[in-house]
Amino acid sequence: MIMAEPASRKAFQKPDESAPPPTPAPVPVPVEEMVLVRQARQGDLEAYDELVRRYQERIYATVYHMTSNHEDANDLAQEAFIKAFRALNSFKGGSSFYTWVYRIAVNKTINFLKQRRNKSQLSLDDLDFNAEHDPDLVALISDKTPRRDASLAELQEKLNEAMQRLSEPHRMVVTLHDVQGLSHEEIADIMECNIGTVRSRLFYARQQLQGYLSDYLK
Amino acid sequence: MSMNPEQEDFQQLRRLLALKRHEQPPPGYFNGFSSQVILRIRAGERPERDSLGERLLWQVPWLQQFWASLSAKPALAGSFGVLVCGLLITGAIYSERPEPEQASIFSPSSNLARQDRPGLMTQLSSMRESGVELSSTAGLPTIPRENSLFEEIRRTPQWNLPPEMQPVVERISLGQ
Repeated sequence: MIMAEPASRKAFQKPDESAPPPTPAPVPVPVEEMVLVRQARQGDLEAYDELVRRYQERIYATVYHMTSNHEDANDLAQEAFIKAFRALNSFKGGSSFYTWVYRIAVNKTINFLKQRRNKSQLSLDDLDFNAEHDPDLVALISDKTPRRDASLAELQEKLNEAMQRLSEPHRMVVTLHDVQGLSHEEIADIMECNIGTVRSRLFYARQQLQGYLSDYLK
Repeated sequence: MSMNPEQEDFQQLRRLLALKRHEQPPPGYFNGFSSQVILRIRAGERPERDSLGERLLWQVPWLQQFWASLSAKPALAGSFGVLVCGLLITGAIYSERPEPEQASIFSPSSNLARQDRPGLMTQLSSMRESGVELSSTAGLPTIPRENSLFEEIRRTPQWNLPPEMQPVVERISLGQ
């Protein structure tokens, strides 16, 4: 008579030593960017999909901060990637692919904004839950600021309105430097101007914003 | 350590600009972003906002490469522009120049026309006196065929045509 093993014993049974050890899940190794570009240039859309995934958030963010409109940013960001794919043969590798796509998105956005006759309505993305805990914002919304009762939503709206009052090149340098943290050199490369121009535009743009937002700044 | 007042003012502004980093699209927005891009590429869609020139560049790849090389090398672009302008000017000048064949004996400046003119005017005045109605065409009187200029030229002694050409002139004078 064969008695079934108690369940408790089964739990402590040693694994079958003859079975091969389970292979660990493969860690995805980031493929070098130029390899993906080469493959995409040959028509490999999966390779290009990977490139899009790598930079979609930054490209979208740049376009959104320039337009303050989620729908426009969605369209323009997609069109920038489509245009980049069509122009892959002209990418010579002098700069990184990221910089090159950035440049396409920046130019496309500036052209779009210049052609837009009437200022579009703001269509702002929501603030994430970390905004209220951001030390910069906490320091700003303190008893030292003139409008300490201003809510974050109001600040967001006023800030975007002020940004929209800047010219496109000035808005772009503020977006790339003060919002996205790019260096002057990177901005000069993307905007195809010299570093002095970047610095002077940044200074002027900050002065303008400071004037527009004086009610909310010390 | 005291800060530059300007830098300190900008510090407040930069703190406020940090608010923009917290602006995020709806949750899950980026999950389908790349897929949409790939779908549109597969559909062969062109960027909608492209101008006519940009659309032309997409359809003609060699033109796109040519344009890219011009954009990268201003000296080449300048030379190309000078070449195009030169061709246009040359074409305009060449088109204004009259054809050598058109400077024929029938032009008012030709010697033969000048020589014929007194004879022609004499004929016209005699026709007017005899009451022959002369219809005008654009201000110029028409000449009856039997007194046509061709006939006049044919009779002119200076018109030394080779014999084989004489029938041609005669056919012209008869209006054939």
